[in-house]
Amino acid sequence: MKIPESILKKVEKPGRYTGGEWGEVIKDPKDVDIRFAFCFPDTYEIGMSNLGIRILYSILNERADTWCERAYAPWADMEEQMRLHNLPLCTVESGTPLAECDFVGFSLQYELCYTNMLNMLNLAGIELESAKRANDAPIIVCGGPCTYNSEPVADFVDICLIGEGEDELPELMEIYKKHKAAGFDRAAFLREVSRQESMYVPSLYDVEYNEDGTIKSFTPKYEDVPAKVRKRIVKDMDKAPFPKNLVMPFIQTVQDRIVLEVYRGCIRGCRFCQAGMVYRPVREKSPEVLDEQARILADATGYSELSLSSLSISDYSCIERLTDMLLSWTDDRKISLNLPSLRVDSFTKELMDKISTIRTGGITFAPEAGTQRLRDVINKNVEKADLLRACRVAFEGGKSQVKLYFMQGLPTETDEDLDGINDLAQSVIDEFYATPGRPKKAPQVTLSAACFIPKPFTPFQWEKQCDMEELLRKQKYLTGKITNRKIRYNYHDAKVSRIEAIFARGDRKLCRVLLEAAKRGVRLDGWEEFFDYDKWMEIFEYCGIDPAFYANREFGEDEILPWDNIDIGVTKEFLLRERHKAYSEKTTPNCRLQCSGCGANKLGGERTCCPKMQ
Amino acid sequence: MLPENAVNIKVRIKFSKTGSLKFISHLDLQRTMQSSFLRSKLPIYYSEGFNPHPKVVFSPPLSVGVSSLTEFVDVKMLAEVSHEEIAEKLNASFPKGLHAHACYTPTAKFSDIKWGLYEIKYELTGDIPTDICEKAKAALTAEEIIVEKFSKKTGAKTVNIAGGIRFCSAELEGSVLTVCAKLSCDEAAFVNPKYVSETLAAAMPTVFEGAEEEVCRMEVYLADGETLFE
Repeated sequence: MKIPESILKKVEKPGRYTGGEWGEVIKDPKDVDIRFAFCFPDTYEIGMSNLGIRILYSILNERADTWCERAYAPWADMEEQMRLHNLPLCTVESGTPLAECDFVGFSLQYELCYTNMLNMLNLAGIELESAKRANDAPIIVCGGPCTYNSEPVADFVDICLIGEGEDELPELMEIYKKHKAAGFDRAAFLREVSRQESMYVPSLYDVEYNEDGTIKSFTPKYEDVPAKVRKRIVKDMDKAPFPKNLVMPFIQTVQDRIVLEVYRGCIRGCRFCQAGMVYRPVREKSPEVLDEQARILADATGYSELSLSSLSISDYSCIERLTDMLLSWTDDRKISLNLPSLRVDSFTKELMDKISTIRTGGITFAPEAGTQRLRDVINKNVEKADLLRACRVAFEGGKSQVKLYFMQGLPTETDEDLDGINDLAQSVIDEFYATPGRPKKAPQVTLSAACFIPKPFTPFQWEKQCDMEELLRKQKYLTGKITNRKIRYNYHDAKVSRIEAIFARGDRKLCRVLLEAAKRGVRLDGWEEFFDYDKWMEIFEYCGIDPAFYANREFGEDEILPWDNIDIGVTKEFLLRERHKAYSEKTTPNCRLQCSGCGANKLGGERTCCPKMQ
Repeated sequence: MLPENAVNIKVRIKFSKTGSLKFISHLDLQRTMQSSFLRSKLPIYYSEGFNPHPKVVFSPPLSVGVSSLTEFVDVKMLAEVSHEEIAEKLNASFPKGLHAHACYTPTAKFSDIKWGLYEIKYELTGDIPTDICEKAKAALTAEEIIVEKFSKKTGAKTVNIAGGIRFCSAELEGSVLTVCAKLSCDEAAFVNPKYVSETLAAAMPTVFEGAEEEVCRMEVYLADGETLFE
């Protein structure tokens, strides 16, 4: 059922809903056994930018027996029309109601999209709670970084796919097909799924709590259900499937370019960073394979921009060779090359000359903390001298504007560390004036400060977030200190960060909060115009749940954490060791220099950088 | 700047924009064209600089929601390619909803486009007066057709658009009323097809309530309103 044109004419950016893009996959429903609705729980523009979905869309559609389609959260104006005219949420390609699909999959990228997932299920007419779903209702499956702790959505999701989905999803399809052919029994299907590597079925576990609200026990309901679920990785990235076609959005999206995934994992080990831990071990693609894939994508898409993607691109062992190979043909094809996420210690004149986005755009670095002491605590391994050297290169190359990212509220942070942020900005200005070949205009340093959010599977997973008052005080403290008008300072909404912190370390008790939020129509929390902190606090109060228990409490080192049943490879012992090193202000060298024994190498992998695996 | 001694061949592409493409803004159409050009690998002339983009010129933009059988875009080719091949390669690279009908060497300028022929179909849901076609004709051929135009600069103002409407036909088939009219595309006197709907709705209140409408630009003409623009 396609959305009537009269409705499309009433909403903003109707191109979000029409489908028909170049590269979309259309199949005849009669030819397939499995209909899969791949949902991104936010708007089309954000969802269409997600590389993971593009990979999995192509893997599922390569199967002759499966048709994977896309669905996104409608913007508020469209939602209003849908509710007014009783239109259910449908797939973009064929306009099939989600409720008629075999699977409805969600990619959970950030905590603030949980309410969008529930709102989308609600718009689709699907029961929110998995326990209430009928035998023939769609199977709700989710993946993405938030599933490493999916406990806050445990009541809603049938299956969580832990880790990388390239192999997991096809395996899940096989199991489903077998069950469908034999007369589908939901319970039997889920039970079999729970026994597979990396597939977590939350409903098959019982959680008991202590009187103080912490977890007393977390036990499988049946003997054949594993107590721990280990994440899956793609062992050889060169052989990993990659999408040979991309759906080309008509309307502008956030990442409107070819995104070439260079490697997975990160050698660094910043202690606040979840991605740096959960994507271990590092696995690189070889430059030859990447060059070949880039050419295929350039032909297939017609994009004029190519972005190299990874957690820290300059740590790629063959970065010189790869950029040379790409630049040998991209100019002729009118494709500009883009390198995000540069570290200050790797920023060189050679790179700056090569990369067009660096030549034209602004320059951004992320020192994360203002003093060396605090940078050592978080294991950033970047020194002030590195930053100033990188800025000098930029200034000599004609730049006058630098943007610096920081985090506030990090463990052990004092006002002295906050002063350090201002001092660092001042040093960058001084460096500008000390650079002989500087451009003939005034310099500008923009400081952008985020609030620290303790995340599961990081050395800081036990830490508390500063309470609201303290977060706001820290933000304002710096406002008062910055007097140089060449320094601009902005910061994230602390209220948003607090909600993220609550759900990031949440347990199953929060399902009730999300359900109540869905009832009250909360959604699009990632959008300033809809985010309503006071409403969230009312909901917590109504549900009798103290948000500070999750956000502002230091978790005990011997406490059972809500995500302890998930094994990401990196061990809890390693995380604890790192936590204690943080408090003694000791750094850990990166994986290439020395193995710190994180445990991820037991997962295997090709072209890793772990000295123990080579 | 074109490279010295470069072949520089102007080619006009006549194309249609229908289906889901009608909900795409002019800016997004340009982006879609750009990626289609790159996929086609045609030797199209690109601007120099850090972000090269094809040097193209489009005929006057359509409103979002309006489809068209006669849109034009001018490009420059850096090598001799037959007009047939250009059309063929573009059609292989266009998403469905875009289709190149013809490629040729342009003569007229886009600013010569003064009139557009529109076909507007109304799927009527309520009672239909037997003389609806006559009433439509009367409404659209009146000496004075007053509508409210909005602009960000001047706000709302009432304008007589009678001089910018040339009524062609009105036919009823079942519950579908099809109205054809030539509307001014002149910059100063541009008549948006939505004013036709407003005028009809004002002449026959209730008849058009809840009607789905489909608007399509069929042809464009020079100043006389008769000679087809090519």
